[in-house]
Amino acid sequence: MADTVNKTLIPRLDRRGFLKGCTMAAAALGLSETMVPKLVEAATTAQRPPVVWLHFQECTGCTESLLRASHPDLGRLLLDIISLDYHETVMAAAGHQAEQNLKDTIEKYNGKFLLVVEGAVPTKDNGIYCKIAGRTAMDILADVAPKAAAVIAIGTCATFGGVQAAAPNPTGAVGVQTLVKGPVVNISGCPPNPISLLGTILHYLTFKRLPALDSLGRPLFAYGRRNHDHCERRPHFDEGRFVEQFGDEAHRQAYCLYKVGCKGPETFASCPSVRFNDVGVWPVSVGHGCIGCTEPNFWDTMTPFYERLPNVKIPGSGIVADADSVGKKVLGITAAAVGIHAAVGIGKRLIKGKDEK
Amino acid sequence: MTYEKQKCWSILLRLYHWSFALSIVFLVATGIYINFPWSNTLQLGTGSFPVAWVRYVHFVAGYVFTAAVLARIFLYIFGNAQERITDCLPISGRNIRNLIKTLLQYSYISDEHDERLGHNVLAGCTYIITIIAAVFQLVSGFFMLFPEAHIWQSWGVTLFGNQQEARFIHHLLMWWFLIFAVIHIYLVIWNDVNGPEGLVSSIFTGDKFKHKKA
Ligand code: HEM
Ligand code: HEM
Ligand code: SF4
Ligand code: SF4
Repeated sequence: MADTVNKTLIPRLDRRGFLKGCTMAAAALGLSETMVPKLVEAATTAQRPPVVWLHFQECTGCTESLLRASHPDLGRLLLDIISLDYHETVMAAAGHQAEQNLKDTIEKYNGKFLLVVEGAVPTKDNGIYCKIAGRTAMDILADVAPKAAAVIAIGTCATFGGVQAAAPNPTGAVGVQTLVKGPVVNISGCPPNPISLLGTILHYLTFKRLPALDSLGRPLFAYGRRNHDHCERRPHFDEGRFVEQFGDEAHRQAYCLYKVGCKGPETFASCPSVRFNDVGVWPVSVGHGCIGCTEPNFWDTMTPFYERLPNVKIPGSGIVADADSVGKKVLGITAAAVGIHAAVGIGKRLIKGKDEK
Repeated sequence: MTYEKQKCWSILLRLYHWSFALSIVFLVATGIYINFPWSNTLQLGTGSFPVAWVRYVHFVAGYVFTAAVLARIFLYIFGNAQERITDCLPISGRNIRNLIKTLLQYSYISDEHDERLGHNVLAGCTYIITIIAAVFQLVSGFFMLFPEAHIWQSWGVTLFGNQQEARFIHHLLMWWFLIFAVIHIYLVIWNDVNGPEGLVSSIFTGDKFKHKKA
């Protein structure tokens, strides 16, 4: 029977769930099934790495989606293979005791613990817009990050600043990699797929190094391809069958969402292949375009979500219009100017008469 | 008054000009379609691939465009006296005087036509801006075309931020090429009418006509 009322506070993960989680991670990492025992071995025998999980400017959605996945095995597997020594949402300790835990962990495991950061770091006015236990997020990060064996930024806020870094970015929020020297693994997404974090950690445990990253620091196994390039609706795109409007016949036929602003062509993610919530869905499969949540500046550049391209803002005038209406106007003005120039030239000739050489 | 024919543009420059101009015609037409694929197929099993096909034409034209741009950059450095970049920029007394005279002539303030063999400097500068725009156009294009290739990814991310911004700039730059083409074609005809060189034919034959010095 499923543990629907959660009678046990820390439900134990059974072997089946454990193997299933490792297999899903192996599949996401692109490893062959023969590697699964290696992952299992690493996950069970390797010393569980201590993990410090810091929360800054964020909504805790990444933690929520990780621990409250419809299928709880993933979250539990994660808690099984790591030793979560400090995590503001799930730790039992509070107040001074919690702060003491953080201090002890980073001293005792100096250079050995994994640091996971969730949330952006505000930098304006010396970072006073996010404080925990009287210290700014900037302070805490500067204290903890250099002592960590590896830094993992989870979620678009921690990787690229997220919604709080959207223009005009009132608190000067930035992603972790802007402030931390050395490599940061960026598991972006709003929220990211739990498998991407699990895969990164299992890779680290099994091979003793971090997975290969793209030029934005995202693990290639999860962010190596654009959604558009492995989307199940791609044949409709190539054959020119498009949804014109939500709810139309083409939408009911599950045609491509390009014309209603799907950002799959601009977004690197594993959504179409790994999918979410163990029920095999992702936004496009249920009829909504991708909004590009794994990309830098996505709030500023992927909006309007239901248009192909961002709007053109003419500075100082408050005018916001789409690129083509601006382009057409400028082209019209150009054509008019050409016409006037030609007319003036002809007029001048008529007045002066043809002064032949 | 007698004229003499003078060699002005090399064959490579003329080839570059026409592959550049023609590829842009195709790129604009297919680019607009890629932005808004208006022909909705709405039917399964028709066996037509309009979007895939138009994108293919765009990419082939994109390679022609890239080759043309590379040829022009080569000529800026190794071309003949008229083709070198130093002949196009207002960096010498002769070129600055030409720029001023051209501006006066274009605004109908003076009738004097500054005789020189290569581009006038106003045109030369506009062409350089267009080539710079073309470089951005092809980098953003290849960034979108080869999203997984490390070299394009690192350039694309540095210059544009993400794929969406690259696409946006790629799209805005299209309007520059359209506006340039309107003004350019008007002005070469205007010069053909008002000047002695036979400017339009020079881009086909490579020769310009000059007053013969006694
Ligand atoms: C003057 C030159 C060019 C013009 C005017 C032009 C125009 C366009 C336009 C308007 C789009 C549609 C973008 C949108 O609004 O969604 C586009 C897309 C694209 N262009 Fe170009 N382009 C040019 C050169 C190039 C070059 C040199 C390449 C490189 C081979 C290239 C590769 C692409 C690619 C890959 C796309 C995206 C296609 C897709 O995702 O389906 N373009 N171009
Ligand atoms: C019927 C169409 C066209 C004609 C008759 C034409 C004619 C000419 C002529 C006569 C020149 C030399 C001008 C001078 O000495 O200053 C020239 C140069 C140039 N044209 Fe066109 N053109 C045409 C279309 C285009 C188009 C569509 C484009 C691109 C959008 C273009 C781009 C250029 C460029 C970039 C140059 C400078 C060449 C250089 O880099 O030195 N042309 N064209
Ligand atoms: S639905 Fe989106 S990701 Fe899928 S093919 Fe269409 S544009 Fe691409
Ligand atoms: S489909 Fe797009 S917006 Fe949705 S989670 Fe995936 S990357 Fe983010």
